[in-house]
Amino acid sequence: MAIGSVGVATVQARVSLRARVGELLDREAWLGPIFVSPALFLLLLLVAYPFCMALYFSVSNAFIGRPSHFIGIRNFINLWGSDAFRQTFQNAFVFTGAAVGFKLVFGLSLAMLLNQQLWFKRLIRGALLLPWVIPTALSTLGWWWMFNSLYSVVNWTGLALGIMDPPGPNWLGQRYYAMTAVVVVNIWRGLPFFLITILAGLVSIPRELYEAAEADGAGPVARFWHVTLPLLKPVLAIVVLFSTIFTFSDFNIVYVLTHGGPINSTHLFATLARQVGLETGRIGEGAAISLYLFPVLMIVVWAQLRFVRKQAY
Amino acid sequence: MSTITRRHFLTTTTGAGLAGILATGVPPARGQQREVSYLCWNNFAPLMDKKLAEIGQRFTKDTGIKLKIDHIAAAQQAAKYASEVQSQAGHDLVEMRMHFPWLYEGQLVDLSDVVGELEKKHGKVLSSAGETARVHGTWRAVPQYHAMFVATYREDLFKKAGLKIPDTWEDLYTVGKELKKMGNPVGIPISQNYDTISTAGPVLWSFGGLEVDKDGKTVRINSPQTVQMLEWYKKMFRDCMEPEVLSWDDASNNQAMQQGKAGWIHNPVSAYIVAKQMKLPTADTINHHRTPGGPSGRHETDVPRHIGIWKFSKNAEPGKEFIRYLLGKRETYDEFIMSADAFNLPVYEKLQDHPVLKTDPKYAGLKAEGVQYHCYGWPAPPSDKVQLITNSFIMPNMIAKAVTGTATKDAIVWAENEMKKVMAGS
Repeated sequence: MAIGSVGVATVQARVSLRARVGELLDREAWLGPIFVSPALFLLLLLVAYPFCMALYFSVSNAFIGRPSHFIGIRNFINLWGSDAFRQTFQNAFVFTGAAVGFKLVFGLSLAMLLNQQLWFKRLIRGALLLPWVIPTALSTLGWWWMFNSLYSVVNWTGLALGIMDPPGPNWLGQRYYAMTAVVVVNIWRGLPFFLITILAGLVSIPRELYEAAEADGAGPVARFWHVTLPLLKPVLAIVVLFSTIFTFSDFNIVYVLTHGGPINSTHLFATLARQVGLETGRIGEGAAISLYLFPVLMIVVWAQLRFVRKQAY
Repeated sequence: MSTITRRHFLTTTTGAGLAGILATGVPPARGQQREVSYLCWNNFAPLMDKKLAEIGQRFTKDTGIKLKIDHIAAAQQAAKYASEVQSQAGHDLVEMRMHFPWLYEGQLVDLSDVVGELEKKHGKVLSSAGETARVHGTWRAVPQYHAMFVATYREDLFKKAGLKIPDTWEDLYTVGKELKKMGNPVGIPISQNYDTISTAGPVLWSFGGLEVDKDGKTVRINSPQTVQMLEWYKKMFRDCMEPEVLSWDDASNNQAMQQGKAGWIHNPVSAYIVAKQMKLPTADTINHHRTPGGPSGRHETDVPRHIGIWKFSKNAEPGKEFIRYLLGKRETYDEFIMSADAFNLPVYEKLQDHPVLKTDPKYAGLKAEGVQYHCYGWPAPPSDKVQLITNSFIMPNMIAKAVTGTATKDAIVWAENEMKKVMAGS
């Protein structure tokens, strides 16, 4: 008798527990956070923690394996006194401005071309995605061979066609050529991102708008300015925003092609931060270099997201 | 007399065992089996890595200590070591090049006892290996071998043009002009790489100049000796070299020699060894001679490599046993050195006339009696600030500025200011 009553009580407890859990999961206030929590946990672990550590390092005199002390913004002030850092600051804006500008123009042009009826359209689209798919370090190594002073296929071709004087440009050894080389490789690498995203935006524009504009007598240029461009603005804003952030923080291309040279003329924040923070052990200074533009980028992100929201609603 | 129940016995033994594991931090199975892990670089002489693995297996067989060897590219070492130190976890032994023991001084076990034993057997440690592995009077790593920078030249071209082997940097200018006329210029990199510093250091020292004083604080780059050095570089760049040296990386001078373009380079013997292994036509035409000197003598750069043990390692003693096994027995150490085909040579005085130098007549020029090797930044102690000067490539950039049109004085003042800013930093 006693055994029987315990068994009934356990079953009842199980049922009521299951019912209570089911009831909780039915409530949006509980279910939402439960679904979000794994992603939130990963974000906290993989993004927030390293970011907070970097913030702490940047305001300390941290050196690998030694105790560190808080020194306020002294790292940020001292860095401005360094010629290499000032050069890097300038390089970052030149590199990002030129690369994003060209990627936008070429990306838009190519996307409009691929939006037309073309032979082998799918094959061409796939091929154009290749630079984005290949690991950057590997593809940049290929470019390094192409620009190499001893084996440059670019110079060999230029000389063979008679458009270069021997021995041809010293691509990685002269400051303007070196900057041109790293910008070219960044454009080559980042163009597919612009192309595919803009193409997706173009495909979503209703054909009726073009037909209506055409009926009103609008030519190709007018259709581009008054239909395509306004409707593409939100997509373009997002693409430019992402690309600006990725390009500012680029590392692989410069590290493989020039190591920041000649005379620091191609150093970017990431490459200089590695040189100072890891190769020399001054993590505090290295973190300050990598976070120097954080406030500026925050403002850019805020302004662009605000613009996108305005366009959307 | 109380009886022990089964439950009482299990509770007591499990509790005590767990307490023991928690106190030592070592699980019982691992506590019984001795094991060490060793993180070392991908050797530029790959056969030496194979030999290391072979010696490691013999070590395990002879001592019962399991050895796990991992390799990492030289360029990744700094990042990997930084992460191991920050997390206080990783390998027990680490291969350390040049000044690394200074960077990680507080994290490395004192290995003075092991170095003392090795010095008794093999003689004193060479100058640069001592300057870099002994930090503030304590051996923080055990020197194992070094690669030295020597002159590599095209013997056939020198014979054809009747050129004399240069004894000084000025002599090199004389022969360099002829080599360039023959279409085989001198190849000394002037770019943001370490080979540039490995040549610029000896040139500066041989003119009597230095970057930072012995006190490790006073910047001394602005001197008449630096002017002499830069004037030498300017005429070399103009009359003996091609502008491509401004874009070279550490491998470019090797490639220029191997493909038959360069007539003279300053590098370890790797250019010849690779040419020989790959059976390139240039292999027969390459030979070596000592680094040229100057008014203040002959100074040479080398890359000493050491083995250190992290303080967080729980296997320091087995680690020391492995170092003794590898470097302490003459026959094993010889076997190890021989596998590198003269790329990596012993760093102990009594072993300088090593049998490996007799394996090829072209290694005759590598004999190093009485040579003083120095690492970057000499004679300043390699503090992190002195290393920041090196790693910021201030000297290569000073030279690059001077040879590309900046006035010599202005290039020096720029370098002086940059170095002073580093010294004044936190």
